[in-house]
Amino acid sequence: MFGLFKSPALSPRLLRLKESALFDSLTPLELKIIDRLMHERRYLADEIIFDEGEEGQALYLVMSGRVIISRQFGSGREIVAELSAGSFFGDLALLDNAPRNAQTRALDNCELAVFFRADFMGLMETDPVIGYKISLALARHVGRRLRDWMTGKPQLEAL
Amino acid sequence: MNLLPTQQRGGPVVWSGIIAATCVLLFLLQQMLFLAVPFLLGIVLYYILQPPTQRLVRMGFSQNAATFMVGAVFLVLVTLAVLAVVYWKSSPATSWQEQLGIYLAGGLEFVRHTMVALEQQFPLLKQVSLADTVNQRMSEFTGDFIQSHLTDILVSVLEWLPSLLLAPFLTFFFLRDGLRFKKFLARAVPNAFFERTLCLLHEVDQTAHRYFQGLIRLTILDTAVLAFGLWVVGVSSPLVLGLIAALLAWVPYVGSIVGCMLVVMVASTDAPANPSVAYLAIGVFILVRLLDDFVFMPLTLGRSLHIHPLITVLMIFIGGSVAGVAGLMLVLPLLGVVMVIGETLGRLITDPRLRARHRNAIALRTRQASHDLT
Repeated sequence: MFGLFKSPALSPRLLRLKESALFDSLTPLELKIIDRLMHERRYLADEIIFDEGEEGQALYLVMSGRVIISRQFGSGREIVAELSAGSFFGDLALLDNAPRNAQTRALDNCELAVFFRADFMGLMETDPVIGYKISLALARHVGRRLRDWMTGKPQLEAL
Repeated sequence: MNLLPTQQRGGPVVWSGIIAATCVLLFLLQQMLFLAVPFLLGIVLYYILQPPTQRLVRMGFSQNAATFMVGAVFLVLVTLAVLAVVYWKSSPATSWQEQLGIYLAGGLEFVRHTMVALEQQFPLLKQVSLADTVNQRMSEFTGDFIQSHLTDILVSVLEWLPSLLLAPFLTFFFLRDGLRFKKFLARAVPNAFFERTLCLLHEVDQTAHRYFQGLIRLTILDTAVLAFGLWVVGVSSPLVLGLIAALLAWVPYVGSIVGCMLVVMVASTDAPANPSVAYLAIGVFILVRLLDDFVFMPLTLGRSLHIHPLITVLMIFIGGSVAGVAGLMLVLPLLGVVMVIGETLGRLITDPRLRARHRNAIALRTRQASHDLT
């Protein structure tokens, strides 16, 4: 009888979403709702995910593989960060459509989950609880980066 | 909120393509009207039923269960409404054919009275025997045209019924698989164009959503205001008349004229000895149409499509000449959707960096697929 009140078991995909700092405060039902909105993309090693200066429309979550983030520096490129499964990047695109400030490229063959800004905005209107949980996680993430910047630590994945 | 990347409007080439594509689509739709009309109704129903379905999904129901529940409740409500209309007057004094005849006669009598009054007011009209000419024309019309064509019209309406039954089926599948279909479409898009195509899909959905929700709001507003006006004037069944006139107004121009004729027929039958009621009803109708065009429409539909008024009016005429009444009805939503697709595709195709990235991705795929081949 008490099984009715038990949370449903999470699928491996939902567990991977739950491991991300962006979604770790979501309940299984909320994770399912988010999962329905996310798109799956597969990139080959060395394929560009997005370019520096391109308008940002979505946040990317690394489900498997690695990606490398780099910025134009003089005539060459400066590596900013290397991200592996569970990390996310392009988070500023969830807030506005300002140009991306770095290029992202797949380091291995990788699988990404894509969270589109329009879906996030729609979610804020239809599901404010999920919206505020993600917004809070996003604010903490941006805040941490700001603190890192103020203490002179290197800036990672600020896209 | 507009999410299209960098709002640059398309140039003359893109716009010529948009108008040409809209005309071709209208022509094709006219050829497949039996499918286009239920499809359109299905979309309208989808946008009405989507919010409660989403709410149920958020409460923890599966997509299937939520769709079934909302569909069942909607069917029950429609059945109850139909039963209420059927049993509202369980034993009417006159059949509907007789009622139609009475209203038609009332309308004709009103026109005759108006013509005679005009002749008395302006002797010139009497010299050209306006009343006699109009009377003769109307007798020919009612005597020959209606007798010979009424059966055809009724039969063609009945022929439409089976295809209209498609609408609820389409709505069910739109509700159940809409999101899956969007993901399916997005999966077919190459990585390089993915983000912008997502924007395009979202904008098409939003355009259609805004248009149909605007149309529903407009119909409710029109019905309420016209019903209130007709009630004040003293016309019978103001709510039913208001609703029919508001639904007819979905067809630009033609719908308004038919709606006005309907109102005049009922008003002149209600008070045959007092033509001022019919005149007042016409006044109310014109006032509501003006309110609709200058206040309600900009508040509901006008905001939804972001199309220049000149192009809107031109396209309504083109739609009417390409596909008749169906063209008048469908041209604006179709133009809205084609405009979004055309402008975005124009930007995607002309972006050399995106095309280069796509070529690079193909080369990487080919290299990876053939790395162990000699």
